[in-house]
Amino acid sequence: MPSTPTDRPRPLSPNIQIYRPQLTSVLSIANRMTGVALAAYAVALVAWLVSAAAGPAAYTTVQSLIGSWLGRLLLLGCTFCFFLHLCGGIRHLAWDAGYGFSLRAIYASGWTAVAMSMTLTALTWVVGIVLAGHGQ
Amino acid sequence: MIIQRSDEVPDITLLKRFPVPRNFGVSAGSRIGKGRTWPAPGGAARIRRFDVYRYDPDSDGNPRIDTFHVDLDDCGPMVLDALIWIKNRIDPSLTFRRSCREGVCGSCAMNIDGTNWLACTRFISDLATPATIYPLANMSIIKDLVADLTHLFAQHRLVEPWLRSRTSAPERERLQSPDERHRLDGLYECIMCFCCTSGCPSHWWNGDRFLGPAVLLQANRWLTDSRDEATGERLDDLEDPFRLYRCHTILNCTRTCPKGLNPGKAIADIKKMLIERRG
Repeated sequence: MPSTPTDRPRPLSPNIQIYRPQLTSVLSIANRMTGVALAAYAVALVAWLVSAAAGPAAYTTVQSLIGSWLGRLLLLGCTFCFFLHLCGGIRHLAWDAGYGFSLRAIYASGWTAVAMSMTLTALTWVVGIVLAGHGQ
Repeated sequence: MIIQRSDEVPDITLLKRFPVPRNFGVSAGSRIGKGRTWPAPGGAARIRRFDVYRYDPDSDGNPRIDTFHVDLDDCGPMVLDALIWIKNRIDPSLTFRRSCREGVCGSCAMNIDGTNWLACTRFISDLATPATIYPLANMSIIKDLVADLTHLFAQHRLVEPWLRSRTSAPERERLQSPDERHRLDGLYECIMCFCCTSGCPSHWWNGDRFLGPAVLLQANRWLTDSRDEATGERLDDLEDPFRLYRCHTILNCTRTCPKGLNPGKAIADIKKMLIERRG
């Protein structure tokens, strides 16, 4: 026998399972995820500093980890996270001051944040590699 | 790439939906099962497939997705026309709200191809293939596309959406200068369709305590009204980590508003008012 409508709780219509990802929501979640990643990278930074304080042996080990293929990839990720979070933070500063709320401005600043974080990441690495080359 | 107006239909998207499992955080009673596929009408030249969310409270079944085929040559141009066509020609039990059919009443707000919009102001020709029709996201569902808005109207009542005055009633109406009146532009036009609130991820996760964009836009409408004399109390009521400050400026609200309003800006203005009154 079918139950009466009041017998069972009403279903909840799907939300994140069906809602289309848009620049607005994607950059918002990206800002959060890069923030979490940067917190983890901060721990790694402390580990690097501790190894430097602990002595040459520990420092060499950590340096070789950072210099490995995976270490460099993580470092690249760190740079990108840093710049995306920075650009996102600047957008939020403008919003908190009451600026940039037209849809046009939201999308223009959003794509600018994406493009700038990629450019700045590339620039940082080019400069870093050139400087490292000069150091040798 | 650069969206200028909320009525622009997104045609380039990398992802149709977020890469989460279909049943991610979904309770057993809300899981969507396989529905029925209704045969295409015979002899139709132009046919469009519609996948529509169904829920029948009078059965024990879970929500499901039914597939319909609409004869476009026999049907009006809007999504609402297609739903009415389905109800008239295929399945009379299909349930949805509609009234004005011209974007004024806000009854037919639903999730069309993944974003919230009014069925009466979206063209069928702008839909994806197949078109997907769900009720407003994150709502308690009464039947098919009809969402239970009780909680949202209770939240609306919480901001006391009426004129509050301490001074005694004047002999005639309370006057506003044209400039004071213009400050309400972009606020008073809201039709309470709740497309924005239903599209707000913050309201999905904290809807029990966060008021959501539609209600906060109305809160701003009464804060902005030159005739209202309860601005201080209104701000006191809003200064709360959940009611107001669960807004994280995601701005899905501004992207989805079928009336082209800007709830995100309205909320930011409330936050600014709270900072400014601290001095």
